[in-house]
Amino acid sequence: MDYTPRKMISALRAGRVDDLYRSEAIWLCVSCFNCSYRCPVGVPITDRLIAGLREELLGRGVGVPAELQAAFERTSRYGNPFGESARKRDAWTKDAGVDVPVLHEGESAEVLWWVGCFGSYNKRNQKDTIALARILRALDIDFGILGADERCTGDLRCTSQGEEGLFDVLYQHNAEQLGKRKFKEVLVGDPHAFNAFNKEYRRLGTPLDVSHYTQFLASRIPEIKRLIKKEITAKVTYHDACCIGRRNGEYEAPRAILEMIPGVRLVEMPRNRENALCCGGGGGANWLDSYIWQRTRVPLPMQRVQEAAKTGAQILAIPCPLEVPRFEDAIKTSGLEGRLQVREISHMVAEAMGLVGGSQP
Amino acid sequence: MKIAVILRQVPDVVEELVIAEDGRSLAEDEVMDITNEADEHALEEALILKARHAATVTAVGVGGNEAKDALAAAVAKGADDAIFVPIPFKHRGDNVRLASVLSPAMKSGGYDLILTGIWAADQLDAGLAGLLSMRLSIPYVGGVTSISLEPDGTKGIVRKEFPGGRLGVMETSLPAVYGIQSAEQPPRYVPVSRVVQAKRTLRVKEQSEPPEVVVGMRAAKLIKSSSAAKAEMLPGDATQVAEQLVRILRERGIA
Repeated sequence: MDYTPRKMISALRAGRVDDLYRSEAIWLCVSCFNCSYRCPVGVPITDRLIAGLREELLGRGVGVPAELQAAFERTSRYGNPFGESARKRDAWTKDAGVDVPVLHEGESAEVLWWVGCFGSYNKRNQKDTIALARILRALDIDFGILGADERCTGDLRCTSQGEEGLFDVLYQHNAEQLGKRKFKEVLVGDPHAFNAFNKEYRRLGTPLDVSHYTQFLASRIPEIKRLIKKEITAKVTYHDACCIGRRNGEYEAPRAILEMIPGVRLVEMPRNRENALCCGGGGGANWLDSYIWQRTRVPLPMQRVQEAAKTGAQILAIPCPLEVPRFEDAIKTSGLEGRLQVREISHMVAEAMGLVGGSQP
Repeated sequence: MKIAVILRQVPDVVEELVIAEDGRSLAEDEVMDITNEADEHALEEALILKARHAATVTAVGVGGNEAKDALAAAVAKGADDAIFVPIPFKHRGDNVRLASVLSPAMKSGGYDLILTGIWAADQLDAGLAGLLSMRLSIPYVGGVTSISLEPDGTKGIVRKEFPGGRLGVMETSLPAVYGIQSAEQPPRYVPVSRVVQAKRTLRVKEQSEPPEVVVGMRAAKLIKSSSAAKAEMLPGDATQVAEQLVRILRERGIA
C-alpha cells in the first residue's frame, strides 16, 4: 500500500489530493475498519475519507478497477452483484426441505428474515441458508422472507465503496418493500446487511429491530439446547467478521453459540475480537481479488487461515457468508486442505440439532 | 463531426424466456429489456471518438419505454442529445423494418458516422448497420473493433475483425455506417447518481414511425432449445473411473 491512512491524511493536509487520486491504495482498502477503530480522534477514515476518494474517481470515470464496476453494474440492474435473475432469489427454498414462506405485500410474520445475496444465490452458501431455515423451523419461529422483492441492502455506503447513488436506489427499493409488510424484527444472515440496517437504514428513517443470526440464536440458547442431538467433537476457532465485530461491537454471541455445542472446544487466534484480521472481502474487495492479489505479498484470507491453522483448530467457524468461499480458497492455496475446515456457525448448530447430515457442508 | 449511435432494447437472457401463446413470439410480460451488448460497445466507441475529435454524439434509443432509461444512461456517459424511436415489441427483431423506420431520421440528421452493434440478441435477419447503409446509400463496414477519423472528416479508417480472429484495416469515405463488434475499451461505468440525474433532466426527441415501413422476416415458430445429450459423470475413485473410461472407449470403438 503506497498510502497508509496516516499518509493519506498527510497528503490531504499538504494539498496533494491528486497524488492520492493516482494511488492504488484507494482500491486496496477492504473496509476492515481497523484504522477507523484505532484513530485516537475518531476520523471516519474508511466510510468517509476512502469512500469520498472513491466516489470522486467513480464520478470522473478514471482509475476504477473494471471488476468493481462490473459488480456495481450487476447490482444496479439485478439487485445482486452476481448478475443473477432477481426473480430467482428465492429459488433455494425449493431445496430447503422445510417450508420457507415468502411474505407478499400486506402479509405479516413475527420475524422477517433478510437472506442476503450470497445466502440466496451462492451455491455453497445456500447450504448454510438451508441450515438456518431448518433451525428456525425447529424453533417454531413465525418467519418469512421477502423473496424476489429483496435486493442487495447496499452496504456500499457504510463501507468504502463510494457508489452512493447505487446505495440510494437500493435503499429506496428495500425501505419501500419493508414498509409493505408487517413484522416485529428483522433477522439477517449477512453481517454486511446487518451493518447497513443497523447504521444507515436507521439514520435514513427506516429504524428496524435487527439482529444477526448469531445474536438471534444466542438469545435462544436454552431452547436450542433442548433440541441438541449430537456432539461435534472438534477444536474450533472463531473468526470475528468486521461488520459485526469491530463495526457493531458484537463479539460474544457467536462465541456463546459455539460453546453451547457439545464437543466443541473453542480456541482463540492471537488476533481476535477488536484486533481480528479481516478476511479481505469487504469494501468491494470481494470483487477485486485479482487486483489486490497482484499488489499484495500474502493476501489477507491466506494470512487468516494460516493463523487459524496454527491454533490447532480443525474448524474455522465464521458468521459471514462471504468468508466461506474466501477462506476455502485460501485453505487450498495455503496447502491446508484436510487440516482446516471452514464452517458457517448456522450449519454447525443445525448439525448438532440433527437437521443436516455429516460434518461436510 | 456528428455521430449517431443506435441503442436497441433486446430481451435480457438472464431472465428465462417464455414463448407466448401464439407460439411465434416471446411473452412480452415476462421479458426484461436490456440494451443490446454490441450497441453498448458502439456507444463507447462513439464517446471515444467524441473525446478525440470534438464530435457530438446523438443516442438513438429503439424499443419501448425502457429505451428512455438507456438514453438517460447514454447522456450520463456523455452523449449530447437523445432521440427515442418507439418500436412495438413484436417488431423489434426485424432489422429490415428497423432500417426503414430509422433511415429518414438518419438521413435528415446529417450524421457523418452512424454506429450500432454488429448484431442484436433478438435479430431475425441480417445486421441493422448493413441494411441501414443500403437505404442511405453510404459505405458500410461490419465487425469493427476500432475507428480513427481523418481530421478533415472525409475518411474513416477502421479495424475489422474477420472470422478466425484475423484483423484487417479498411478505409471508407464519410458519411458511413459501421457495425461495431467491440469498442477499443470496455463500455464505461457511470455512477447511478448521474444516471438518476440524467433521467430527471432528459429531453428526448420522439420520432414517430414514417408512413412507409418495409417489413422483413417474421418468425413462424419459436422452439425452446433442448439438450440432445447429457454429460455423464463417472463415479468412484481413480481406478474405478479409469476402468469405466476404458470400457466406454472400447464400446465406442475408440480404443
